[in-house]
Amino acid sequence: MRSTCQIIIREWNRILHLKVFYLVMLVVPALLFSFYAYIYQEKEAKHLPFAIWDDDQSPVSRQLIFLLEQRDALKISKRLYSEAEVKRAIQTGEIMGAVHFPTGMQNDIYSRHPTTVTLYTNAAALVPAKMVYKAAAQVIITGSTGIVLKKLVKTGMEPDRAMALANPIKLDTYQLYNATYNYQEYLVPGLITVGMQMILIISSMLALNYEYKTNTMSQLYELAKGSAFRVIAGKTIAHLVVSWFNFILIAFILFPFFDIGVTAATGKFFALYTLLSIACIGIGMFISALFKDVMLSGDVALFYTSPAFVFSGFTFPRWAMPWYDQYYATIMPYTPFLDTFFKIYYMNLPFYYAQADLYKLLLFPFVMFPTALILFQRQFNNSKNEAAAEPVLN
Amino acid sequence: MKQQPNPSLINLLLREAGLVVKDHSLLLTLLIAPLLYAFFYGSIYINKEEENVKLAIVDDDQTRLSRLLQQNIDNSPMVELIHFSNLEDAKEQMYEGNCQGYMYIPRGTQTNLLSLKQSNVVLAVNAARFLPSSDILASVQAICLTVGAGVRLQFFEKSEGMTSAIAMQNVMPVSLDYRPLFNERSSYGAFLLPGLLALILQQTLLIGLSESVASERQHATIAGWLKGGASMAIWGKGLFYLILFSAYAFFFLNVNYSLLNLPMRGNGFELSLLLLLFLLTLIPMGQFIGSLFKSQLLCLQMMAFSTYPIFLITGYSWPFESLPLPMQWLSMLLPTTPFIQLYTAVVQSGASIWENPKLLLHLILLWAFYSSICYARLYSLRKRTLA
Repeated sequence: MRSTCQIIIREWNRILHLKVFYLVMLVVPALLFSFYAYIYQEKEAKHLPFAIWDDDQSPVSRQLIFLLEQRDALKISKRLYSEAEVKRAIQTGEIMGAVHFPTGMQNDIYSRHPTTVTLYTNAAALVPAKMVYKAAAQVIITGSTGIVLKKLVKTGMEPDRAMALANPIKLDTYQLYNATYNYQEYLVPGLITVGMQMILIISSMLALNYEYKTNTMSQLYELAKGSAFRVIAGKTIAHLVVSWFNFILIAFILFPFFDIGVTAATGKFFALYTLLSIACIGIGMFISALFKDVMLSGDVALFYTSPAFVFSGFTFPRWAMPWYDQYYATIMPYTPFLDTFFKIYYMNLPFYYAQADLYKLLLFPFVMFPTALILFQRQFNNSKNEAAAEPVLN
Repeated sequence: MKQQPNPSLINLLLREAGLVVKDHSLLLTLLIAPLLYAFFYGSIYINKEEENVKLAIVDDDQTRLSRLLQQNIDNSPMVELIHFSNLEDAKEQMYEGNCQGYMYIPRGTQTNLLSLKQSNVVLAVNAARFLPSSDILASVQAICLTVGAGVRLQFFEKSEGMTSAIAMQNVMPVSLDYRPLFNERSSYGAFLLPGLLALILQQTLLIGLSESVASERQHATIAGWLKGGASMAIWGKGLFYLILFSAYAFFFLNVNYSLLNLPMRGNGFELSLLLLLFLLTLIPMGQFIGSLFKSQLLCLQMMAFSTYPIFLITGYSWPFESLPLPMQWLSMLLPTTPFIQLYTAVVQSGASIWENPKLLLHLILLWAFYSSICYARLYSLRKRTLA
């Protein structure tokens, strides 16, 4: 127990003095996570450049333009006069979308002829395109409903009945857990946790093999009395405690400062975060015990951790991926973490709903730590033999 | 003693090739990672868009209208309905993650419509996940509008005695023709893949090249590299990466684009010029970053965290105008920002690079900027090394 405590303190000392540790574990989280939160400071994309192509030039088209101007998402920045101009302005990135009111639109509406309003977006940039569509389509559809309503009232129908006919099926929509589609609420916790996963693996992958680099393996052997278990336990606790400091940074500094996160779910988030940390440290220890070469372990860790965000299904659902990618996603701890995170954090549900995902996440430490232990004990014994042979050879 | 001549451009190119072959980390980053990532990441979006997003439905109305509504929703490729007898079960399924929301058709929906009263139908989606919930919302809203138009059509025909043609004209006085340009199906894959491939090209080049420069400092071989002068060193080392990554770019645009069924609408020659300029800008940038590190491992660790921040502030995934002002300034210092706009305009909308001279000039200025700071940095390192 005493030697494990000494290993913990020794590891903290290494973390505070070796650049490969303190930069990754202490400096990167503060900078990177603040950076992520700051990117989405606006929360929603607003004032997207939008053009009007008004061939009608009537009171009705002016009324629709006025309504479009009221939408926060749009900023009417251009007047255009042909489809070619619209396409060109979209190609050059001057506008994200445009609307066309055809010649005679008002006359058609008054003379009971259907008319068509065309909405163009640059769907090569999907996020703004969807926002432009949502804002502009709402105006056009509301305008169309209003026209039907007016016509029906004109025929002598009671307003209530006219409304029922203008919009017979009223869809009451509820966007649960993120009512305004706030990008900061949605993306930042995900980006931070995936960043934390990378940080934990990229630092703990050096916990064991970097001892060779600093020529301190024999010293560690003496301290641990040759027990790989003590080394791995001590170093795991040391890394875990540092990850808790990062939790404080995330949950109690960044989230309140940027006004994000679900405060009521902080306790559950801490429990899940700890589980993710243990799983990632386990993977890091395994890589560290497997490769003596620190560069090789760095490459393996980078290759393993960097695709986690896209494979986890955060932005593009896993069910839409080909089967082999779905299988690949399961070998990363971030995947079950994310599924649990959605439920217990974003949705603030009890852990009961994430049992299966939690078991999957638990598999990682259960497999990784014993494997790392076996691999490192062999290395440790060999390093003792090498150390013993050195004076003889000299 | 005979003084060794300064290395030529070709000598430095061959020296770099030798360095890469001997260093397994560089070998992995430069020769295996670009291809593996391009196929690996690319395959995720091979289906381009999601389909059959599960939505729970509770139908308390059990009428012809409610069945018609369900049938229309179920027939849309985007949504797949799962039926439940009560709301609690439907909610539980959403909590379990088995569906992305629930819809409720209350008792009396059809009766209300027949007596000309508005009917309220409830749709609750799990907006914690953006893509599935927004896809469900868009599909169901469109279907409700269509069914609503059908109800009006029947009313005009039966109650007002209009002919089908006249009734049709009254149903939708203003209809919306939505034209999503340059990605007609508004698919996520078609949007993300071109940018993703460019990002893979950029990041593997930056990580590999910066690691190579950091390795020169770590292994004290920098004097040999800088012997012929800073400019010669930049070009000599850079030439290897220019050739290698030009080949990758050619490969991605031909093989990966074809495998992933991505359109290339622009002019191939112009795109080659643009890629060349981009690579020429990245090369001094990568060398400058690498020269800040004395350890190859530390360089790798730091560069590993650069991918997401770069991608997020280039204006590709989040509109540039919506970034905070300091982020916009930072973004403008990255070659990715003007490049990705020009590149997507060429490949996805078929634009010419000359149509946006501002962006082209921006990229050229960044080339000059990174070349200058890289030259200054290597010049000072050379002076220090020789001293």
